[in-house]
Parts: sequence; structure tokens; C-alpha cells
Amino acid sequence: MTSDQAAQGIDDIEYEKPPSNWTLLWGDRMGRWGIIILVVVTVLAVFGPMIWPFDPAAVGEDSSSIFQPPSSAHWLGTDELGRDVFSQFLMGARISLFVGIMATLIATVIGAGIGVMAGFFRGPVDSAAMGVTDFFLVVPALPLMIALAAIFGQNLLIVIIVIGALAWPRTARIVRSQTLSLRERQFVPRARSLGASNARIIRTNITPHLLALIVANTILVVAGCILAEATLSFIGLGDPNRISWGSMLHFGFVSGAVGRGAWWYFLPPGLGILVVVLGFTLVGQSFERVTNPKMRGGA
Amino acid sequence: MSLLEIRGLTVAYPGKHGDVLAVDGVDFSIGKGEFVGLAGESGCGKTTMAMAIPNLLPRNARITAGSVVFDGADLTTMDEDGLRTVRWNEISVVFQGALNALNPVHTVGSQILEPIRVHDRGTSEAEARSRMEELLEAVGIPAGRAGDFPHQFSGGMRQRVMIAMALACRPQLVIADEPITALDVMTQAQILDLLRSLCDRYGLSMLLISHDLSVLAQTCDRVAVMYAGRIVETGPAGRVFGSDEHHGGARHPYTQRLLRAYPNIRRERVFIEGIPGYPPDLTQPQSGCRFRARCDLAIDKCAEEPTLVDVGGDHRAACWRLDQAVTS
Amino acid sequence: MPPLLRRILVLLVSLFAIVTFNFFLFHVIPGDPIRLIARTQKLAPDQVEKLRQSFGLDGSLIEQYFRYLSNLLHGDLGYSFSLKEPVSDVIGRALLNTLILLTVSTIIVVVVGIMIGVFAGSRHGKKADSATVVTSLIFWSLPTFWVGMLLVFTFGVWIGGLPISGITTPNAVYHSGIDYVMDVARHLILPTITLAIVDIAFFIIITRTSLVDVMGEDYMLTARGKGLTRRTMVWKHGFRNALLPVLTASVLYISALVAGAIQVEVVFSWPGMGLLTYNSVLARDYPVLEACFLVTAIVVLAANFGADLVYRRLDPRVAVNT
Repeated sequence: MTSDQAAQGIDDIEYEKPPSNWTLLWGDRMGRWGIIILVVVTVLAVFGPMIWPFDPAAVGEDSSSIFQPPSSAHWLGTDELGRDVFSQFLMGARISLFVGIMATLIATVIGAGIGVMAGFFRGPVDSAAMGVTDFFLVVPALPLMIALAAIFGQNLLIVIIVIGALAWPRTARIVRSQTLSLRERQFVPRARSLGASNARIIRTNITPHLLALIVANTILVVAGCILAEATLSFIGLGDPNRISWGSMLHFGFVSGAVGRGAWWYFLPPGLGILVVVLGFTLVGQSFERVTNPKMRGGA
Repeated sequence: MSLLEIRGLTVAYPGKHGDVLAVDGVDFSIGKGEFVGLAGESGCGKTTMAMAIPNLLPRNARITAGSVVFDGADLTTMDEDGLRTVRWNEISVVFQGALNALNPVHTVGSQILEPIRVHDRGTSEAEARSRMEELLEAVGIPAGRAGDFPHQFSGGMRQRVMIAMALACRPQLVIADEPITALDVMTQAQILDLLRSLCDRYGLSMLLISHDLSVLAQTCDRVAVMYAGRIVETGPAGRVFGSDEHHGGARHPYTQRLLRAYPNIRRERVFIEGIPGYPPDLTQPQSGCRFRARCDLAIDKCAEEPTLVDVGGDHRAACWRLDQAVTS
Repeated sequence: MPPLLRRILVLLVSLFAIVTFNFFLFHVIPGDPIRLIARTQKLAPDQVEKLRQSFGLDGSLIEQYFRYLSNLLHGDLGYSFSLKEPVSDVIGRALLNTLILLTVSTIIVVVVGIMIGVFAGSRHGKKADSATVVTSLIFWSLPTFWVGMLLVFTFGVWIGGLPISGITTPNAVYHSGIDYVMDVARHLILPTITLAIVDIAFFIIITRTSLVDVMGEDYMLTARGKGLTRRTMVWKHGFRNALLPVLTASVLYISALVAGAIQVEVVFSWPGMGLLTYNSVLARDYPVLEACFLVTAIVVLAANFGADLVYRRLDPRVAVNT
């Protein structure tokens, strides 16, 4: 970019009132699609299981009710035990979203915490924190999740903790480098000279400026966590008492639904994962783009 | 017949409220072997005008009117293949900030060799190499450093590499866009002297762009001053800067203010005055004299478009108040 | 200190950290691993004794740690009670199969991913670019194992024609070495496609974003000013620089590739580390699971080390300055 253009770019910005992030997000084509996807899926996940008449766990009465193709009663047919697939799909949406979001919250708290501490205190704190972060960045996540889930046993809480505890390193790195640069801005030495404590500076001078970055990153992490939950459940390490899209695919796989050509059983949960992950990815990338246009080349 | 004839050149960028005319109907020429300076504040359109010559504008910029006749051919109507044979071979560029203008992953030697290989196909590998080494020596870099990467050189040395690269294909015209900004004062003077001496030695024409008029005063045969996309004053350097005893110096109020706004890099200057106000917002339509909002001498007449008027000896200025300006 | 030596030192420290981490993970956290195993397995007393030995559970924690280290150094990874053979033998075979799968798919992913990424990135802002980005984002959002299931369904049930399970045809008679290689190659097709589909998307996005950034650099304007053709500009000046951030992102890619390989091996019964991990989870065969994790982590560590070396070769600034 030439200096002339840059000067004009600045002029452009000065004459416009900055719109809010959400307005920008809605104005971005990918962001808008992402928001629509997430709203639809959330509505389905929250209200779907209340409305749909079948109990996802209710087993069919006899062998004639298993692997039934879609019908007017069972929109997505039945599974290997004669259970209604559509009600499992709705319930699965709930668990997949719940695990993805809860695990992300854990990851964000750990990642942002470590990142802020490392960036703010620098020195040995930084070295130690980044050593641990790099270690977890290099250790292959899925094998470690499998090992942890296999050791600690299987229930929803453990799945959430295992995923969350391994999804934070990237957040930590991004937050750290942003904190490092924020710390050099003028308002930090000024606040310090006015006698503000470290805790106060972090709370009032650092964290507010990190929020947009953390939100964008968090949304992207949700996508990864939902995929992780699906994979873990597919391998058979999910909570056996909960239906998620991943566990549906696990049972579909081991019960031979693929070999039987029971597409109504293994297509919907996969599409569900695809659409939700895509929704979070679109919103996250778009958010990153509109809040920090310089960070990425944009699309 | 001049080497380069620019007529009515207009370059537009898309803006939020219609086109932004970064260059607005400019006439400009460079003679063979002439050393021409182009001055103006950042954002005045000088880089855009210069980059429009070999058509190196950013993708969103368009030449909407005018012609750029170089050596008898209009470059604005030439296709990309034609332009490629002109670029560097006939017109080369010394870019602003040589650290970023040199590719970090290739050695400086190979970057100088590249245009020779592309444009002078008949040249043997050995000839190309010896020309590259000769160029490095000519800009004051030992030929033995050809295998080094850009980051291994200091800022001034990088700019020298850039100059050697610009001369690789013996071009007729070299455009030097702010070649000495971000260098220390001693290095600035050295680079300017180098440009001037190479220009004379190889008999090439030079367009030197700078926001600092004193830089141009020292080195150029002729200067032009741009403001908000237009040329407001042009003439022989001696006349415009008043170093010729009998000619009054700068005539346009903007040039006069600009002369007072920058420290001289060789002479001592007593005090520096900024120009109050800002250049006009080019995203809005413009009319009349663009400088009138910041001008002490502005009158109602200035709302009309001034044209370049000859004030003697090929010295021209676009101002309605030339009679007043001369005394100030 | 010479940069290479320092890198090797860091590698050794990481290796040590992984080994120690592994020890804590499998020997300290669960308390008594035998109890853990006994939860799901009916074990005879002599089996329990054998397990205790293989876990090195007698003595203090420090003693156990050093015995564990010395066993590792001797290549002793314990004994698999579900497969009734030393873990190191099992791992050896599986690792080879996984490396075949990973090598073939990495080559395809890197070549195809870079070509499409450069194609899109050099057309920044045009239709072809945004179409590539959207398509890549969709593929990137696919769960790998599900793509595998779809391919099994398509080629195993619906159309047929390609092997969907294992590494060779059962009971096949081979007349020559080439026959055998061809059979393995046929079995490789679907697992490789599955793995590649998702990871190519990842590669495209990184390459494209990196190239878009590079295309805006000043030296690209220089390249254009030099009168170079578009192809030379993009590949010689743009791509060489764009490759550096791509290599930096290889940590993520390697991790994604390993995760993908585990899923693909499970779906296609490819007898590698992933299938072994899966089976050892089902059988709760902890010595095998532990070795799988350790070996996978070490392979990933080595791969990252390799990527770092390549990076250092390609970026003259790093090569000289550190």
C-alpha cells in the first residue's frame, strides 16, 4: 500500500461513525450465514426434544421395529434397537452444543488466564507458562484425550474437562502476545504511576482490550471442541448414558448401520456436526475479520 | 521531444462516496537526461502519479483519463505483456523503504540478476554476473557481498542495493520514491549524491519524489509541487527555490509554506513552521484552488479553478494571487 | 551455541518431558493400574503378578520411575495381556503401517493443498478465491471419521469396487512383490482420500491466507515493477515467503493429521497405531494404550523437529541470526 492510499484510508475511517461489532458481523456475508445456522440449531436443540413425541431412549417392541427407514411417524427412521433417530438427533444437538460450549469455557478461562499472566508479568512467569503451553501444543491432543478418558472413566463431566483442559494452548499464545503489546501502551505506565495495583491494571487496562480477541478465538475453539467431543464419542469414550451426535455415529458404526445401508441413521448426525462446526467457524472467522481487519487477509 | 509526456492524467480510487481522484488532470513531462523532483505532503498523490507511469498502481486504482506517452508510446493503453517489456527495462523504480522492497528470502545478487535475465535474454550468465558485480561496486558495495541476504545489510546499504537493482537493465527513466526517508542524515546526503552521479554517468532521466523540498533543491534540474492531486507549481529548481539571484523563488503560497515546513538537510535552518490545517478530504468532490482553505491569501476568486501560469523562464504556478504571493 | 545444537537440546528436553508426563499419566494418576484393569478384566493371579511386573509397581515412586526409564531405554514397553505378546512387537508393526498412511496422505495434502491455496490466494478478492475459501471451510468442518463412513457406504455398499477394510485382501495369494504392493495400494486409496479431504482444506486455508498477506508486501510491488510474469511473481517471490507461516502452522497440521489418522484407521480397520489405540481402549489394555500414546507423541515431536529444520533452511533470517 502506498502512503497516498494509506492517507486516504485514514480519511475514510475518520468520516464514518464506527458501527458495532455485531452490525459488522451481520454485514459480513459469512458471518451472517454463521449466525443464521447457530440460531436455527440452538432453537432445535433447546425446544426440539420438548416437542418431538418420541423418547430417544425408548427401545422398539420387536425385531420388526429395528432399522426402519424414514416414515411419517419416525421422520428419520429407527436404529438398531428400534429407537427413534430423529429424537436422538434433537437430543444429540443439545449434548454436542452443551459439551462444546462448556469445554470451551474451561479452555478460555485457562488459556486467557495463562496468556494474561505470561504477557503481563513476563520474565520467569512468561518462560514457565510458555514452556507448558508449548508442551501441550506439541503433544498430540486426540491420543492424549483418549488416554485421559480411558483412565478417568466415562461421563459427561470428564469428557468436558478432558476436552477443555487440552483446548487452551492456542488461546494462551494469542492472548499472551496481545497482552505483551497492550502492556507497552502508554496507559499502563500512566496507571502504574498513579499507584494502580497489578490486579487493577489487568482488570481495567488490559482485559477490556483483549475482549474482542478472546471472543473471536472462543467462538473458533467451540468448533474444535464440538469436533473433539464427536470424535471421542465415536471412539466409544463418551458418556454411555447420553446421546450425542458422536455417540449416535459410534453406535451406528458398531451396529453395522453402514453395511446395512441405513443412511437415515448415520447421515443426520454427521451433517449436524458439519453444520454446527461450520456455523461456529464462520462466525468466529468473520468476527476476527471485522474486529481486526489487519490481522488476516480477509476473504 | 521529451522522454515522458503526461497529459491530463487522472487516477481514481473507489471511495465510500464515489471516486477519489488521487491524481486529477495532471500535465507533466521529463526530458532525456533530466533530473526532476516531485514534492508534496503525504497523501497529495505524488506516489500515485509516479506509479501510474509504468502502471504499477494497486488493483483498485484506475486511470480514468489522460495519457502517459513514454518514448513515443502511450503506456495507459498498453496491455500487460507490453508493459512487462517496458518495466525495469525502460522504467525502473527505487522503492520507498528498501528493507520491505527487497525480497527477504533471495540474495541481493540474485535479485539484481533477475531483471537482467528476464529482459536481456541475449546476455550470457557470465556477462550478467559481471554486470551485477559492476553495479554493486558502482553503488559502493563490495561485489563479494552479492551472496548476502537483505537483512544482513544496513538501511543505507539496502537502499544502495535497490539503486543497483534499478540500474540493472540500463533503463531510460528511474523513479525514486522517497528513497532517503528512514535513513540518517549523513546517509541521506550520500544516497542523493550517488543518485545524481549515476544519473549523469549513465545519462538517464530521474524522477525523485520527496516530501522534503530541500532535498529536491540540492539535486534536481527541475521540480514540480503537488497538492491534493494537482500540480500547483513547476519550474527549474534554481528559479523555484530562489537560488538564482534575480528570480523571486517560489510563487505559490503552498510551495512557500512547504519550504518553511522542513529543515534543510545541508544548510542550517533557523526555524520550522508547520502549515496549519489539513489537506482537503478527497473523498468529497473538489473545486477551485484546493489550497484555499489553508491559505492566508485566499479570496472569493479562489473558488474558481486556477491554471498554471507562466511567471517567466518556464516557471509556472497555479494561483490567483500570484501578485500578492511574490511579496510575502 | 550453534542453532542446530540448541534445537537438538530442546528436542531432548521435550522428549524427556513427554516420557515423564507419560509416567505420571499412566503410573501415578490412576493409583494402582492393576485395580483399574481388574475393573474390566477377569484376571488370574499369575496374570496379576505378570502385570505388576510389567508395570514395575513394586518399590517407591522414584524407584518405579527409574525402572520405567531403564525399561524404555531397553525398548521394553511391557506386555499386552489382550494380544499376549510384548507391546514393542505390536507397536513395531502398527507404527510402520501408520507411517505408510501418513506419508502418502501428507504428500498428497501438501502438494494439492499448496496448489489450490496458491491458486486462491493469488486471486484474492475474486470469485474463484471466495469459492475456494467457502468450500475449504465446509470440508474443514467435516468430522474425519464420518467422511470415512460415507466412503465406506459409497464404495462398500452402494457402488462397490474399492476395498474398505484392512491393509491387504484376506487370504490373497501373491505371485510377485508388485502384486502385494498393488494390493496394499488399493487398500490405501479410501483411507488416504478420507484423511486428505479434511486436511487439504486446512492446508488450503493456511496457504491462501499466508499468500494473500505476502502479496500485499512491498517486495511484491518490486517484483511487478521488474516486469516479471505473474507466474514468476507468485511462485518465486510470493510462494517462497508464504511458505514460512505455513511451516509455522505445521504444529497444528501434524496434530490434526494424527487425530485424523486414528479415526481413519478405526473406520477402515487399517492396522496401525490408531486402530491399536482404539482396540486397546476397548480391551482396556493399558500397557498398549500407554505405549501407543508415548510412541505417537514421540513421532509427533520428531515431525515437528523436522518441520523446524526445514523452516530454518528456508528462512535466511532465522538461519543466520540464531
